[in-house]
Amino acid sequence: MSGPLAASLALNLRATAARTYVRIVGSIREWTWIIGDAVLPNLGMCAFVLLYRTLGAPRSFEALAVFGGILSTYWLNVLWGMGSQFYWEKQQGQLQLYFAAPCSRMAILTGMAIGGILMTTLRSLFGVFMGFVVLGVRVPSFDVGVLALVFTLTMTSLYALGMTLASLFLLYGREAWHLSNALQEPVYFLSGLYFPLRALGALGAAAAGLVPLGLGVDALRQVLMGAHAEGFLPLRAETLILAGFTLAFLVLARAALAYLEGLSKREGRLTQRWQ
Amino acid sequence: MRTLTARLRTAAWLGWQVESNWADPLVFFIYTVLRPLATSLILAAMYWAVGARATRAGLFPAVYLGNAFHVYVTTVVIGMGWVVVEDREEYETLKYVFTSPIGMFSYLTGRASVKLVLATVSLLLTLGVGWFLVHVRWSWSAVAWGPLLATLVLGLAATLALGFLVAGVGLLLPRAAININEGLAVSLYLLCGVIFPIDLLPHGLQELSLLLPFTWWYEGLRRFTFGHGVSARIGALSNVQLLGALLVTTLAFMLLGYRGYSALERRARQAGRLDQTTMF
Repeated sequence: MSGPLAASLALNLRATAARTYVRIVGSIREWTWIIGDAVLPNLGMCAFVLLYRTLGAPRSFEALAVFGGILSTYWLNVLWGMGSQFYWEKQQGQLQLYFAAPCSRMAILTGMAIGGILMTTLRSLFGVFMGFVVLGVRVPSFDVGVLALVFTLTMTSLYALGMTLASLFLLYGREAWHLSNALQEPVYFLSGLYFPLRALGALGAAAAGLVPLGLGVDALRQVLMGAHAEGFLPLRAETLILAGFTLAFLVLARAALAYLEGLSKREGRLTQRWQ
Repeated sequence: MRTLTARLRTAAWLGWQVESNWADPLVFFIYTVLRPLATSLILAAMYWAVGARATRAGLFPAVYLGNAFHVYVTTVVIGMGWVVVEDREEYETLKYVFTSPIGMFSYLTGRASVKLVLATVSLLLTLGVGWFLVHVRWSWSAVAWGPLLATLVLGLAATLALGFLVAGVGLLLPRAAININEGLAVSLYLLCGVIFPIDLLPHGLQELSLLLPFTWWYEGLRRFTFGHGVSARIGALSNVQLLGALLVTTLAFMLLGYRGYSALERRARQAGRLDQTTMF
């Protein structure tokens, strides 16, 4: 590896590690965020599990809702911790520092993603506790290796989408905030977070082609619940599509970031607050 | 009286501008109805997914109705909390409201009135989707209109009262108020049995649930619309007892909202929190 390339790689890796550190430390410092990210989505999950009990649904549906609830914490982190991050930075007057830094913005976003995945995984343990201990959900034995593979692909595709959203939101002001708000429950619905994706039929297929959350949760359910998951596509196909999503969103994020960064600079929006 | 009306109108107009001026009317309309509608569609999809395997599917319309009305809590209560956080932290205009003759109480009431209208639009759309898409229907002649109207008014009064309390807490707390706001909506979703009978809650939480007017509100709305609720525990009570419980808890909330807000605002003034910015 030539000198300048190695130096550039080292610089960006250091930037990624630094942003990961900030994300982890920042998440631990703010106790209300821990409650907001760990406890609240899982309270909603409990309500949906109790709805299945109210309707007298088979117990396997409760497990479906629990896994969806656990995955919802990651989606919230993608929206608010990745997609909207540049909007927050702009509001707080720090965005220009990212652009003044010598490293790539993709390195910073990667750091945010790694830190976000680590901290959200830690917080999702509360959902696991609520599901398995409090609500008494049970799953048959499963292949840990396949689970790890599917989980990793789900996370990489989701956070790559988060990077793309961050690039898009660079241009926006309050619309970014409102868009993140509007993308919560509608995406839960279109991703079949609390019910089998196949219940949505063609609409589910269309949604699965846009947001990796639906296929991710469906694939994880198939690994953990087998036939009870009422899977949408065969597990192998979903795994391949998730890998494709990862690649596509990473390329898209890089292109969108380059284009929108230039556009934001030309239109003078990078430092514009309260718009 | 004329002055008060003018103040409320001005606050409502300002609220409308702040809420909606970031988008054109169509986008704003879609944004307003998207979240509550999606939650209702999640319930509908859960119902479709279970299908014939549900042994108590007949309870679904009552569940759907409770969820539709919960939009008032998420929009008005949480919205009033957000007004304080946004005006103080983001736009840094809260201090000017306090120095203006309008007064914070009138200002919040005006802002809440816009949110009430937006929540009503969401409610009607959600009920429309329920009626046409998932057959959440009721017999118009069987609706107990008088008790239903009383229930509706009391529930909205309780919603506003809680909104003031949440706004008061927002005045005192730093950015943590954001999570308190969001947390309250989800906690009430679980505690008040919006989509399931409170009978399924463990003891302790059930009793806590009965202290909240919203528990009685949702059950009253269901009973006076469909002729039955979803909770066996509340179902054992007569209509008068149910309305009485709603009235008592609502009055308690109104007192708590008024007194609580006043005390919290006073405390925030003393502690110099009215112009704090903590969103760094």
